[in-house]
Amino acid sequence: MLLAYRLPREPSTPRSSLWRKLRRLGAAQLLDGLAALPLDARNREQLEWLADEVTEAGGEATLWVGELSSGAQERELAARMAESVAAEYRDVTEDAGAAQAEPPGQRRRTLARLRRELRRIRARDYFPPPERDQAQRAVEELAALVEEQVA
Amino acid sequence: MRWVTRSHCHIDRAACAWLIRRFIDEEAEFVFVDDPDEMPTDATPFDMRGVELGHHGGACSFETFLHRYELVDPVLWEIGKIVHEADLADERFDAAEAPGLDVLLRGLSMTHEDEQLLALTAPLFDALYEYKRRALLSGREPS
Repeated sequence: MLLAYRLPREPSTPRSSLWRKLRRLGAAQLLDGLAALPLDARNREQLEWLADEVTEAGGEATLWVGELSSGAQERELAARMAESVAAEYRDVTEDAGAAQAEPPGQRRRTLARLRRELRRIRARDYFPPPERDQAQRAVEELAALVEEQVA
Repeated sequence: MRWVTRSHCHIDRAACAWLIRRFIDEEAEFVFVDDPDEMPTDATPFDMRGVELGHHGGACSFETFLHRYELVDPVLWEIGKIVHEADLADERFDAAEAPGLDVLLRGLSMTHEDEQLLALTAPLFDALYEYKRRALLSGREPS
């Protein structure tokens, strides 16, 4: 599913708000003004609302349902989207590892933050990379450590 | 009055339907359409693209209802924050209840038709209303 849009340069608030929302949904920005998401009922609805938001902000937006003409290109796009969430998972793994050296109070707060972060990333993870399990394990290990210090 | 919205209701539409029946139109009758072109002309549309009672300025349809009908009850605005986060998850509000409610509503929409879904979720929203009302009155989370 594709959202093609054009927004006035100024004011910049609608632009950055749209950009943030597309990022949160895990959309791939194909070109300036063209974003793609895997087609499902939820993404379709979310993109429809975003298209309306663009129109309300004085821009233009159209929604397209399309497919790439070759399997290779499709795999390439999926790999690109997977790599983008993989990078986020790697950050979580790294932070969870570093948190083991933190003082107990701070460690517990870091755990809460990383769990939230993990949930956010999973919501936009359409092509789960191996980094997902690594991040999950790293956060579980940190949780076990936090449990231990309570006991 | 007749009201129309898209079929396969999720959190925002279920919450709007509850709000309509409780606070706007006790006799409300709901019609669900798959295609916006099938919309009956004698029904008021909500939570559909391009209608007044939809998403506006980043607000979900439930919040739009509260604005348009000037519902100032602070408990409803508390519920509005939860519905907003369950629907949009854009972290405009801090609503810990949202992810759980979102999962429940998704599951219900997988297992029930729209009419049934509204019948099942009305007591949920009544319960949420009562809980949030007591929390606001006492200034702390009710036990």
